[in-house]
Amino acid sequence: MALTTAQTGLSRARRGVAPGGPGKPANRKSKLSSQTRKTFFWLLLPSVVLLVLIHGYPLVYAGVQATHDGSLIETGEFVGLENFANVLASDAFWKAARFTLLFTIVGVFGSWLLGLGLALLLRTKIPAGGLFKILLLLPWVVPIVVSSTAWNWLVGTPDSLVPSIFRNLGLGTPLFLADPTLAAITVMVFKVWISFPFMMMMTSAALASVDTTVYEAASMDGASRWQQFSQITLPLIARSTYISWILMTIFCVNDFPTIYLLTGGGPVDATTSLVVLAYRTVFQDFQTGPGVAIAFLMTITLVVVSVMLYRQIRKSSVE
Amino acid sequence: MTIKSSVTSTAFSRRGFLGFAAAAASAPLLAACGGGSASQSGGGSGVIKFWDMPWATPAYNDAAKKIAEGYAPASGNLKASYQTIQWNNFYQTFSSAIASKTGPAVSTGGGFQAFQFEQQGQIAYADKVVEELKKNGMYDDFLPGVLDPFKSDKGYVAVPWQLDMRVFWYRKSLFEKAGVALPTDWPTLLEAGKALKKVGAFGFTTGSGAGNNYGNHSMIMMMVNNGGGVFNKDGELDVMNDRNVEAIEFVSELVSNGIVDPAAVSYTTDNMSAQWKDKKAGFGLFQVNVPQRVGDTSGDLLVADPITGPHGDKATIVFPNNIMMYTNTPSQASSEAFLVAYLGQLKQLWQQKLMSALPVFKSITELPEFANDPNNVKIVKEWQPIAKTFASQGNTLNANLAVLDGGQALNQFTQTILTGKTDAKSALQTFQSGLQSVLKK
Repeated sequence: MALTTAQTGLSRARRGVAPGGPGKPANRKSKLSSQTRKTFFWLLLPSVVLLVLIHGYPLVYAGVQATHDGSLIETGEFVGLENFANVLASDAFWKAARFTLLFTIVGVFGSWLLGLGLALLLRTKIPAGGLFKILLLLPWVVPIVVSSTAWNWLVGTPDSLVPSIFRNLGLGTPLFLADPTLAAITVMVFKVWISFPFMMMMTSAALASVDTTVYEAASMDGASRWQQFSQITLPLIARSTYISWILMTIFCVNDFPTIYLLTGGGPVDATTSLVVLAYRTVFQDFQTGPGVAIAFLMTITLVVVSVMLYRQIRKSSVE
Repeated sequence: MTIKSSVTSTAFSRRGFLGFAAAAASAPLLAACGGGSASQSGGGSGVIKFWDMPWATPAYNDAAKKIAEGYAPASGNLKASYQTIQWNNFYQTFSSAIASKTGPAVSTGGGFQAFQFEQQGQIAYADKVVEELKKNGMYDDFLPGVLDPFKSDKGYVAVPWQLDMRVFWYRKSLFEKAGVALPTDWPTLLEAGKALKKVGAFGFTTGSGAGNNYGNHSMIMMMVNNGGGVFNKDGELDVMNDRNVEAIEFVSELVSNGIVDPAAVSYTTDNMSAQWKDKKAGFGLFQVNVPQRVGDTSGDLLVADPITGPHGDKATIVFPNNIMMYTNTPSQASSEAFLVAYLGQLKQLWQQKLMSALPVFKSITELPEFANDPNNVKIVKEWQPIAKTFASQGNTLNANLAVLDGGQALNQFTQTILTGKTDAKSALQTFQSGLQSVLKK
């Protein structure tokens, strides 16, 4: 019985309905006059034109480069989809794609879990909470070139601080950047470390918008702390969570400096992501067409994934 | 039970989001492609635009700027302006500028950059400059063999101005501590490495981490030191020759014996410098002026003798850095006049001890500021005469060498050897396949 009461209460809480309140929130629909719409259109037009120029032109130019056998100076001979076919047939591409997928999954969910945990912790009253918040933001704020240098000092050689600690604990001397598996793990941990503050801020903002009376209502109905977290907190911040996942997915897939500055994509390509592969193909192997083809494939994949995730958000909202 | 968010959707527009997502997702394209359309010749403002790289400390660029901007042309020729171009993405910087006709008229740059841009018809040949150098006596002042690699079928693609030499260095105190003699050939290199290991030092110091090409250079150096190399005398790809296999098998032996630092595969140049400074590096390939670079001028770091390969070969590798002229210039005659004048003032850079490379002119090697350092003298006397370019057994440089130097194939090959994950032949085979797929026929 108590459980039924709690579930009913939670259901009301999820809909943002306080005890004794009405069943459904009123639908709000914005109604803009025709004149206002026209004004908005003209105000937005310069920005749209600018966006098209900034993003549309490189997109078209990249399409041209990807279908030609040229250089950064000359367009070269038209080769159709040959560059795409060669790229898709290469082992290096698929190895980089697998690493990118893993890097993205760990980067997104690792930073989200850490960010969520810290956001929940900072929501409670802890001494010097504001100071902690500022300190926790540092990994996001510090330029990556600085943090990657610091991480190199920490783990780069057998005599660096972290391997020394392992050695002193009798755990051997791990070569964090020299062993392919450990290097991949290190790069992912580094990514989580520099990204969690973003997730923490997104989650903190979402949590701040959750009405505390919802918890009071659920508590009165006998919901446990876990039930409140899993059935009130998570659902109420779900939209913000999905958006942060999408953004972090884009950040991870496009992340060049984190990997390049720490490992350069090595050892033996163990940390080569697609964006690093694209860069190296264009600027180290001077294969402009194939390199841009890789970037093109990445972009298309990212747009498709983003649209799919966005639709998922809309769908969840409707439900 | 699935729980859904109850936040209304009006705060979040589909178009807005898609626009943002598309913009963010297109970042790799923005990063990967270049191009432009503005047009201005390599000195459109009536000066010869000279672009230079940060070859040493900022004091070097200040001194070079003073030389360039202090150039007083003869009547009818244009003055010169000076601009420093950072190494990060330098090829993109040059390419974009050249494509948009805003590039330099004269520049230093990557070792093989002149040949890359020559392929694309952007380089002005330096034959008239060489003729002028013959007239003023500077031609005869070149160290032996430094100008020849720049002569193509159509003319001189560029003119050398400094030599980025790879030589073996050693730390004297570590050899004394280990009680072993300096290596003179491969067996004694192995023996010295084992002895150094016992005193906690490495006998073949190298690195191939982010942005570090010394590992790559060590591999090619050992091949060349055995009479091999990546290219044969005709300039054809020749990775799988017996000498290369033998050289890489030897390097693998050094790796398996712990003579190479197991973490070397991830070492940046800073990590390598730290190894030398912290007395972890006993012997290894590095550049000119290592004591100054690593911050130990106590006299304990010294240039070693060249070592002899198992078939009696003795060689190292050198990157002859050069100055090139571009077809996009307000006045080709002015570009040539400036280049001749600039070469004539290079000695100032060595007089001020600003350079971490060898000069190309004999007269500069005889300057007291240069010759007072016994390491410099040894490099000029013993290493420069046996130095070969990346062209290995070939004589002339070409654009393919840019793909070899710093390209993915060589880097992956070096890292494979340094991790000791495979045998020499398999690694060389993969290296050859990788190069074949990217080299221009």
